[in-house]
Amino acid sequence: MVRLLTHNLLACHVKGCTSNNFPLQFQNVQIELREADFNADFLKNFLPKLEWKALVDSAKDLGDTSLPLEQPEMLDDEFLKNLHHVLLEIHVEEGSMTCPNCKHSYPISNGIPNMLLAEHEIG
Amino acid sequence: MSKYLVVFAQAHQEFRVPELESVAQLYNFKISLSDEPEERDPSRPFMIIELESENHVRLLAKRCILIKSIYEFYGRGSTYEVLHLRNRAKRHMWERYIPETSFKFIVAAYNHKIPQHRQKEVVESFAYMGFMGKIDMKTPEITLGCFEEYATRNGQTRERHEGDGDFLQVYFGRLIEEGTARPLVQLFDVKKRSYFGNTSMEAEISLLMANQTLACSGKLIYDPFMGTGSMAYPVAYFGAQVMGSDIDGRQMRGKQTTPGVFRAASQYGVASRIIDICTFDVTNNPWRCGGLFDAIVTDPPYGVRAGAKRLGRKKELDADRLALYHEHRTNPRPDDSPYIPPTRPYELSDLAVDLVLLARYLLKPGGRLVFFLPTVTDQYEEVDIYTMLCDGMEVIANSLQDFGSWGRRLVTIRKVTSELYPPPDFSIRDSEAQDETQRVPAHRHFREKYFQGFKKAEEVEAENLSHLP
Ligand SMILES: C[S@@+](CC[C@H](N)C(=O)[O-])C[C@H]1O[C@@H](n2cnc3c(N)ncnc32)[C@H](O)[C@@H]1O
Ligand SMILES: [Zn+2]
Repeated sequence: MVRLLTHNLLACHVKGCTSNNFPLQFQNVQIELREADFNADFLKNFLPKLEWKALVDSAKDLGDTSLPLEQPEMLDDEFLKNLHHVLLEIHVEEGSMTCPNCKHSYPISNGIPNMLLAEHEIG
Repeated sequence: MSKYLVVFAQAHQEFRVPELESVAQLYNFKISLSDEPEERDPSRPFMIIELESENHVRLLAKRCILIKSIYEFYGRGSTYEVLHLRNRAKRHMWERYIPETSFKFIVAAYNHKIPQHRQKEVVESFAYMGFMGKIDMKTPEITLGCFEEYATRNGQTRERHEGDGDFLQVYFGRLIEEGTARPLVQLFDVKKRSYFGNTSMEAEISLLMANQTLACSGKLIYDPFMGTGSMAYPVAYFGAQVMGSDIDGRQMRGKQTTPGVFRAASQYGVASRIIDICTFDVTNNPWRCGGLFDAIVTDPPYGVRAGAKRLGRKKELDADRLALYHEHRTNPRPDDSPYIPPTRPYELSDLAVDLVLLARYLLKPGGRLVFFLPTVTDQYEEVDIYTMLCDGMEVIANSLQDFGSWGRRLVTIRKVTSELYPPPDFSIRDSEAQDETQRVPAHRHFREKYFQGFKKAEEVEAENLSHLP
């Protein structure tokens, strides 16, 4: 169920692939929407760790355009609700994530991303 | 500060004080324990602690797995005479209950059973308190507890009531709160869980680990060796969000379509707090940056049940493997088929060093690493723990779970720095080529020692010789 929160933290880690290796591009995805408990503190704690543009673009790829292009200064309720939905309620169940740089593709199956590398891909 | 009498469950005694201190830190209140070794002797079920308010008593009773109940402390003594003298001196603490409060008396003993007739005598000996309210055994307004503590009689046979009255100490107080966290041990019982495996951690220990992480709502907690997810459930139950990973997806997924970890989490109503579970080797991890987690809680592999592995060092693929690999790439399937990267062993003492470095990178400042380190009882020395530390990481608790010739230590380490450190490089150390002056920790080569039954080096050698023709 790769959620966008997780997706925002994962970069390609193939040996030598160190630039333009994030964000991974979703492909052939199957999505499920599932409600999660709203927790404003959690969101606020996490905000500084997010790569905003990657989040907005990836949400758009999955059909959600509720987030502003620039991270707002004021965290009002509506913004937090949208952020909550994007980060935690969109689940990618099947498909894959491809590195924009080396094109390595990480499969997602039953909601579990497989980020394992083969022995010739590790540093 | 006022004094309270804590009645503990007699289990995992070394975990008791760290748990009290963690819960106090979690809720940000002061707790003061006596420095006298006798007063904090973990083999005794009673301990007097000092707190600033009754509200703090309730918080401890709500979160500490090892607490059975907490009483407002009125007095104690080696005889009833002494106890009564002290209790009379505390009249100001109980006189407001005299006129019309309904009450109940509990008289109990540790390591002994007090005969009925003497229980009655004990209750009567408190008659001077002059309580006028009615006795109500079912729904009293207050409960008074009187506890006699006897020396252990392990291995000694005796008559049922023999030695009655020969107690070490007797304690008296008013019940404030029964421990409500202890029943969680039943709730999280592994055997009643919809998904578990042979690596699952027993419920009580998982709960104690969860308390060491300071889990609460708003936090994000990570298990890099997640397996069947035993620690994720209590951590999520306490309100935290959880991230997990394992080199072997089958451990987290099991055999059904819905991954096992999610099935078990649903059973506890916390599925939505398991943010994600990912398959990867933690020594080749895809985390984009550090400073992500409030805590890392884990039971690392040490090769006894689930081997410590990491992706292999062989760089070139042979033709067959390459074909398999390409098949997997073009036709991705779950990670158990058809391509599984080869792995090689991962020495426990190397893993421990790497884990602390990884935690320093991935934790937020002030975050905690909570993990088990198996070790050999005879050879262990406290410095072993320090062989795996690095700058910015401090040990704050180290509690032994004793299995005889070996044991495992629950180690809690705090990130005390806000400096940024790079991710560890997980380089393969030549573990044999070591500085001779350095102590070799007892947990080094734990796997081999385990399978040799923790024999001394000479014994092993003698045995090897005996196999010679
Ligand atoms: C002792 S078990 C943890 C069990 C877990 N606490 C549970 O509740 O089942 C260790 C786990 O570490 C995994 N493991 C071993 N080497 C690993 C590595 N290099 N990276 C990630 N996981 C690894 C194993 O697959 C195993 O599931
Ligand atoms: Zn790449």
